[in-house]
Amino acid sequence: MAASRRRLWIVAGVVLVAALVVILLAPPNASEARDLGLLSVYSLTRMFAAYGIALVFAIAYGTTAATNKKAATVLLPLLDVLQSIPILGFFPAVLLFFVTSFNGSALGLELSVVVLVFTSMAWNMAFGVYEALTTIPHDLEDAAAEFGLTGWLRFRRLMFPASVHKLVYNSILSWTNGWFFLVASEVFAAYGTTYTRPGIGSFIARAGAAGDVGSIGLGLAALVVVVLVVDALVWRPLSGWADTFRIDVPRGETVRAPRPYERLRWIPRFPGMWHRVSARLRPVVHAYDRASIRLERTYARHPSVPKNLRRVDLVLFLVVFVLVVGAGLVGLAGLLRSPPPDATQIPNAALSSFARLVVAYVVAIAWTLPAAAYVGRSARASRVLTPVLEVFASIPATALLPLIVGFSLAVTSNGGIGVQLASVLIALFSMQWYLLFNLIGGVRAIPGDLTEAARSFGLRGWTYWRRVLLPAVVPSFLTGSITAWGAGWNALIVSEYLPFGGTVHEVTGLGALLNHATFVSSDPKLLLLTIFMMIVVVLAMNKLLWHPLAKRASVRYRVEVG
Amino acid sequence: MTARQPILEVKDVSRSYFENGKEFKALERVRFDLHDQDFVCIVGPSGCGKSTLLRIIVGLDRPTTGEVLYQGRLIEARNPQVAMVFQSFALFPWLTVEQNVELGLEARHVPPPVRAEKAKKYIDAVGLTGFENAFPRELSGGMKQRVGLARALATDPVLLCMDEPFSSLDALTARSLRDEILELWHDPDLPPRAVLMVTHLIEEAVYLADRVLVISGKPGRLVAELEIDLPRPRNRREPEFYGWVDDIYSLIV
Repeated sequence: MAASRRRLWIVAGVVLVAALVVILLAPPNASEARDLGLLSVYSLTRMFAAYGIALVFAIAYGTTAATNKKAATVLLPLLDVLQSIPILGFFPAVLLFFVTSFNGSALGLELSVVVLVFTSMAWNMAFGVYEALTTIPHDLEDAAAEFGLTGWLRFRRLMFPASVHKLVYNSILSWTNGWFFLVASEVFAAYGTTYTRPGIGSFIARAGAAGDVGSIGLGLAALVVVVLVVDALVWRPLSGWADTFRIDVPRGETVRAPRPYERLRWIPRFPGMWHRVSARLRPVVHAYDRASIRLERTYARHPSVPKNLRRVDLVLFLVVFVLVVGAGLVGLAGLLRSPPPDATQIPNAALSSFARLVVAYVVAIAWTLPAAAYVGRSARASRVLTPVLEVFASIPATALLPLIVGFSLAVTSNGGIGVQLASVLIALFSMQWYLLFNLIGGVRAIPGDLTEAARSFGLRGWTYWRRVLLPAVVPSFLTGSITAWGAGWNALIVSEYLPFGGTVHEVTGLGALLNHATFVSSDPKLLLLTIFMMIVVVLAMNKLLWHPLAKRASVRYRVEVG
Repeated sequence: MTARQPILEVKDVSRSYFENGKEFKALERVRFDLHDQDFVCIVGPSGCGKSTLLRIIVGLDRPTTGEVLYQGRLIEARNPQVAMVFQSFALFPWLTVEQNVELGLEARHVPPPVRAEKAKKYIDAVGLTGFENAFPRELSGGMKQRVGLARALATDPVLLCMDEPFSSLDALTARSLRDEILELWHDPDLPPRAVLMVTHLIEEAVYLADRVLVISGKPGRLVAELEIDLPRPRNRREPEFYGWVDDIYSLIV
């Protein structure tokens, strides 16, 4: 297994290098509307490079956490933290690190983009693999053991297939996250210099800075097309393929089992496309299988080899881990002993950010709940509106930034209020879709006989909402809320510090503070303290609010089907 | 009886679990032998440890005390000459019928053409010809269990272990599959040489087995070992049949 993982990493490395070569060859001055096709290719290459590495990382991390108890004691809590902290908190720091260490060269910029997109994709995928592997039915594990599946064959026949379904579905979410970060990271300003890499994100940002509404629209349209084409050619067929890997929980026959909400149902699934692809790849996979099994047999003859390799892996990992954690703790202790003068702003900033997110969250609930109830219950509305909503949702909030800021500044007479409005709107656009689609899913999952029973007792209007609809959607509402808040925290960094039309508009908040500490005052102490504050607030909210609520809801409001 | 070496010797097997420092006994000093051409059913109420016993025999679990000998040798790990059929079928949903049947052979590095030939033979034997490329989710419960059976037989087991193989099926399907099992069992060209089956249905045990082991109590103890000498095919409506069922019932209660 360790050997297979090592070879996966080699594959990922090759992918990354190839992708970097492609984007580094990009002409830096491709920025006209007629270059949009080319710009899309650059942006997509970055996405796929980051995704390839995230995929390998997720499989390696997830399988290790699920199979190696010793490693899991470290890997699991670490993943829990990485998954819930707003990665964008590191955004300015990562950008700055790569830019300065590569002297502002294209390679440094590209690496920083890929790394940032990777961090937005990897954790939730790794967790998906871990979750899938730990929920394999015992009988299936017994059967695998009983028929003698070990090593590579066990990975290929049991563990990998068992994680495909979850992995693909989490990948779709990661991919959406990736677009958000990609658009934000293709252009940024530090110390008076603007760094740009050619891509759709930078095209839109440039058009926004120039106030060229036509180009903004063109860029957004190109972005939507690219997002949808990838969805249609990759994710839809892939999720159809992934369904063959679903482990069905046996259950009784149900009458009128509701047809669940399925993302992008209106896009053709190209049935069998990935089956055909995987059939084409079969000779390659088989050759790989054979080589792996041969390698394993060689190891079996020299039993000390894999053991020593594993020991090397573990020691390396532990050394890195101890160094990182140790450095972090020492640094933090030093910071707390002599806090920078600006540190007094942190509590106030945290409060302002939180208040803005609450406003956005409340507005999001106010419109998504009735909308979901309507779309979820009417087949016709669902057929017409779902595609429209999904197209809107496919635009990352970061790409809407120029439009939102322009709009907010135009409709308000007072500039300060305008920036506040823009900030809340960006947070709203980052949060609302997660709520909406989770709620639609929740409404659609209400079993038909429950609805009919309610109708036969004459429940209508508010009574129906109070007794049937609202309780039934509580679990999906909470899932949506958790994801939405995660996205909201991430949005802070772009929503509170808005370079627009030559000037930077900002509001009080953690995101603005982070940007300031990195790009303006270059105060690493303040930067670290702010990130620390952000992590504490988010973790506290997850552990003290969302997790207990979700746990209670899963008992109290679960709708049993069958 | 004494000259022949048994296929399986279960010697004073006990199994305990430890939870929060407290010992929970699942099985206590179970002892029996299994010989060539034996079809043995283990009967007992749910929670008496009969599935645990089967897992120990297959090598998926270890006894706390006591030992299990297979053809005179101690079972310490998975035994390739023993195959298992699961109550929940335990088919791999991402593999076709044929790939599922080939699984045990693949693990033994049997070359693909031999694998395919063997899989075909057993898929035909269980009456699934034409379903080689179907996925388990496309099959009915009875057909799924046939795949489970073919998968087990394809490894040429000396001993076939079945853990409540018919309990997830509806009564009618279970009934016809029982007869098919007996047919396969009486076919001299097919493995295995002995069958050990766990069930909680007394009638099923009396219908199928040459010998019934009754396990009861907490922890599970072997309370009786009965030779069912009824002629085959057995008739469930005969008074002798019911005599056996009643006897076993009174032993358990």
